[in-house]
Amino acid sequence: MSWWVNDCCGPGGTLVWTTPAWGLAGAVLVGVLLLAATLRPWPTGRRWLEVAAWAVAVAALVFAASGAAWVQEGDRVEEGRLVVLVDASRSMTVHESDGRPRSDRVADILARLPGAEVYSYGEKLRPGAPVAWTDGDSDLGGALDGIARRYAGERLAGLVVVSDGLDRGGLRRRMLGEPEAPLPRLGGPLTLYQVGTPGERDDTAVVDIRAGGFAFLRTPFKVEVDVRATGSRAQSVPVLLSRDGQPAGRAVAELDADGRGTASFTLTPDKVGRFLFEASVPIGPTDTVPSNNALDLAVRVVRDRVRVLQVSGSPSWDQKFLRLFLKEDPSVDLVSFFILRTMRDMGSGYNASELSLIGFPYRELFSEQLGSFDLVVFQNFDYEPYFEFQPQQLLDNVASYVRDGGALVMLGGDRSFDLGKYGATPLAGVLPVQLGVTGDPVAPDRFRPTLTEAGARHPVTRLAGDHAENQATWARLAPLDGANRTMGARPGAAVLLEHPTETGPGGVPLPVLAVGEYGAGRSMALTVDASWRWSFDEAGAGHGNQAYLRFWKNALRWLIGDPEDQPVVAEVGRDNYEPGQEAAITVRVRDIAFAPLPGALVEVAVSGPGGRTTLTGATAPDGALTVTVPTADRGAHRVRAVARGADGAVLGEAQTVFAVTSRDPELDEIEPDVAFLTSLAARAQGRLVPPGTWQEPLRDPEAGRRVRDRKVTPLWSMPLVPFLAIAAATLSWTIRRRSGLR
Amino acid sequence: MIPRRELLLGGAALAAGALLPRRAAALGEGSALDIAEIQLSSGTSSRPEAWKRLLFEVIQTTSVEATPRVVQLSPDDPALFAHPFAVLVGDGALPPLSEPARQQLERYLAYGGFLFVDDATGTSESDFDRTFRQLARQLFPTRPLTTLSADHSVYRSFFLIREPLGRVAVHRALEGVAQGSTHALVYGRDDLSGALDRRGDGRDANACVPGGEDQRREAVKLGVNLVLYALTSNYKQDAAHVQELLREGRLE
Repeated sequence: MSWWVNDCCGPGGTLVWTTPAWGLAGAVLVGVLLLAATLRPWPTGRRWLEVAAWAVAVAALVFAASGAAWVQEGDRVEEGRLVVLVDASRSMTVHESDGRPRSDRVADILARLPGAEVYSYGEKLRPGAPVAWTDGDSDLGGALDGIARRYAGERLAGLVVVSDGLDRGGLRRRMLGEPEAPLPRLGGPLTLYQVGTPGERDDTAVVDIRAGGFAFLRTPFKVEVDVRATGSRAQSVPVLLSRDGQPAGRAVAELDADGRGTASFTLTPDKVGRFLFEASVPIGPTDTVPSNNALDLAVRVVRDRVRVLQVSGSPSWDQKFLRLFLKEDPSVDLVSFFILRTMRDMGSGYNASELSLIGFPYRELFSEQLGSFDLVVFQNFDYEPYFEFQPQQLLDNVASYVRDGGALVMLGGDRSFDLGKYGATPLAGVLPVQLGVTGDPVAPDRFRPTLTEAGARHPVTRLAGDHAENQATWARLAPLDGANRTMGARPGAAVLLEHPTETGPGGVPLPVLAVGEYGAGRSMALTVDASWRWSFDEAGAGHGNQAYLRFWKNALRWLIGDPEDQPVVAEVGRDNYEPGQEAAITVRVRDIAFAPLPGALVEVAVSGPGGRTTLTGATAPDGALTVTVPTADRGAHRVRAVARGADGAVLGEAQTVFAVTSRDPELDEIEPDVAFLTSLAARAQGRLVPPGTWQEPLRDPEAGRRVRDRKVTPLWSMPLVPFLAIAAATLSWTIRRRSGLR
Repeated sequence: MIPRRELLLGGAALAAGALLPRRAAALGEGSALDIAEIQLSSGTSSRPEAWKRLLFEVIQTTSVEATPRVVQLSPDDPALFAHPFAVLVGDGALPPLSEPARQQLERYLAYGGFLFVDDATGTSESDFDRTFRQLARQLFPTRPLTTLSADHSVYRSFFLIREPLGRVAVHRALEGVAQGSTHALVYGRDDLSGALDRRGDGRDANACVPGGEDQRREAVKLGVNLVLYALTSNYKQDAAHVQELLREGRLE
């Protein structure tokens, strides 16, 4: 019988109608109409039986259409579940002393926990046992939170964690460093199965390298390198620090009882830009993870302020206006020394105590402190009366300073160039003009210098963005009072301004402004002492002093050779990347006036451990081209960008570097962290099962979950309904046929 | 061996030839220091011999390349911009500046020129003082004349000066109008030019009271300091100078 009614209609159930009310009403209406149709003519005699059968058939159909169902509900309690979390990170692939990886032990443990619900975790939580141990950044705290959310409200029989304790998600740090740190939510008693045995492997590693992100030019900064050695009895580890592949320092890290130590380096950067530092420790023959013996870090060296030394042999208007310009520029740190009195001025009968003069610390300036300046300005300064001791050595210091990347300006006057007797000194080798004039060393007539072809292109003499406007500005500037004669420009130097009438050897116009590059440094010679007129006379004429300011700003920027102010600049979005991230490299190309240069063809070559990648493109209207390269390979990456014009001529090139973390954090530290596992077990009042032993996981005997069952039996589909409909309809039909009705 | 530095600071023994004035040795005469005397239609006077004496002292005492040249200019003369050091000596009520003159003088001071204004009356109250203050307000509506502090660079630009004195010693202070970190206009009321002035026969034109020749000596030192201040501005406020002078006990 139960088959006929779909096992329905037990006690405690309720009848529900699943068809919407309008459907139910429609079915009833159709049934009533069908019945009404059979009542004409009014039934008599045996027709009552036929109509009754018909009514049963229609009622069965209406019932089927009503969607009737029998619903029974009730609660029951199921047994508590055991949940297992397996560390699936790469540190689980480390081989133990028996030659087996830690991950092998996971299978042994899971085999002893049948029926458990297994999850694996690295950075994220996933259902199922690990298939491959390739995850990074194992985050046990996050995994426990994930389990707590997933089994919210359920009392677990037990929670099992299988791990080497090398958690990188913060839980380990909190458990070991913060006694009051809250535990993650646990749904049941915690059992920790430790895999990996401490002290079984020999491994030396660079754990961290710190440099504060960036450093200032010529300012000492500290690089600290943390190292760790396990499995050996070493008490110290030698550490080598390299900069761009060249040794930058060596230090020894003294190890504490835990095998940890720090080596410190103090470096003084002498260039601005981005540099790659690598700290490395020796790789021993039994080193378990050689890849963790070196660590890269890109450090950006920036210029705090441009430090300028202005030395003037005589107070003058030229000196005053240059000082005002330099002093009022907040990006300039100016140190001035002016010779206010010479041997010739000492017969005027004043006592030294009446004077406010101080000694000229020339020896300190041109030996000890020279390297601290970005630019040295000799303004009508003759060295001979002041450089009493080792004058040639001091001038040689200045020449070496230039060749090593410094900048020098010599300005004209009656104590400059040949009048300052520099011709036979080492300084002559780093000036862009040749000394050794034998005749009159001065061209005394007033003149207005002429902009040369090189001057029309060079950024130093670019006073206006437009070429014609630039020419017009130079042509408008006030005449100057005279010039020092020289023997012309040195080979390789560029003459930007020249004398309109005076000539030197070979009839070549006398250089007035010349620039040159010597070694890594730059120098500029301006053979006049009246550039102040480009400021004051211009202001008098109502033009302001922009021409003067722009000239000296241009000169300052060019002289210090700031990487940001080169014609081609390559920038990387970040100094350091993680593997898999994309490095965005932006190349900016500017013309000689430092205006963005669109349409320049740029080739960007990125060289790294994985080989060389070359990308090409053209600069946009803003003069910039951005390309992206994947950073799959760990290690130092060097970027070289070459920009060419439409005619193929090289406009310039730029280089920069970035680092892709050369290390796998999962393998930086391979010693199982027993302290963390012990702490976690203790705080959670759980159990830690050491490797090589077996204990059953803790279980909560009262754990379980209340399950609410709901049984819905559709009545419309039980066999009894179609049977009744068909049987009643057949009976009705039979009666009608036998009664002669149609 | 006596260090050269000591010689530079105060060596007294020098060849007699050094006492003779030297010609300016800049590349051209144009860049050598000279002085422009600003003349108004009334209220100003001209003392070229006083300023030539000052230039002579500058040449003799300092390394500044100067030429003993004094030119008289009106404040609206464009030639003013060829002479970044200007003086205005007053002995009477000044007329208001014309607009072109005001604009040019304002530009002159804003872009690096220096103006020393000297009250030649040497009195505690004068028409010149009253009208000059009006003129200063006309030039600098938002910046007042203020007394220069005792540690101002003008008092140590070459000589160490404790009290600024002139032909008289009434006010014993200088005033000025700041232009950024320096003072482009300095005002003295003790008739400095009167102490420097000479007659045609080379004798001093005025007696200095009450201090006599010692006071005149101090006035000359003040004049030299004004020139050096105009050229080096706040150079003597640089840390290296202050620390060294303090260390040697020449500054308190």
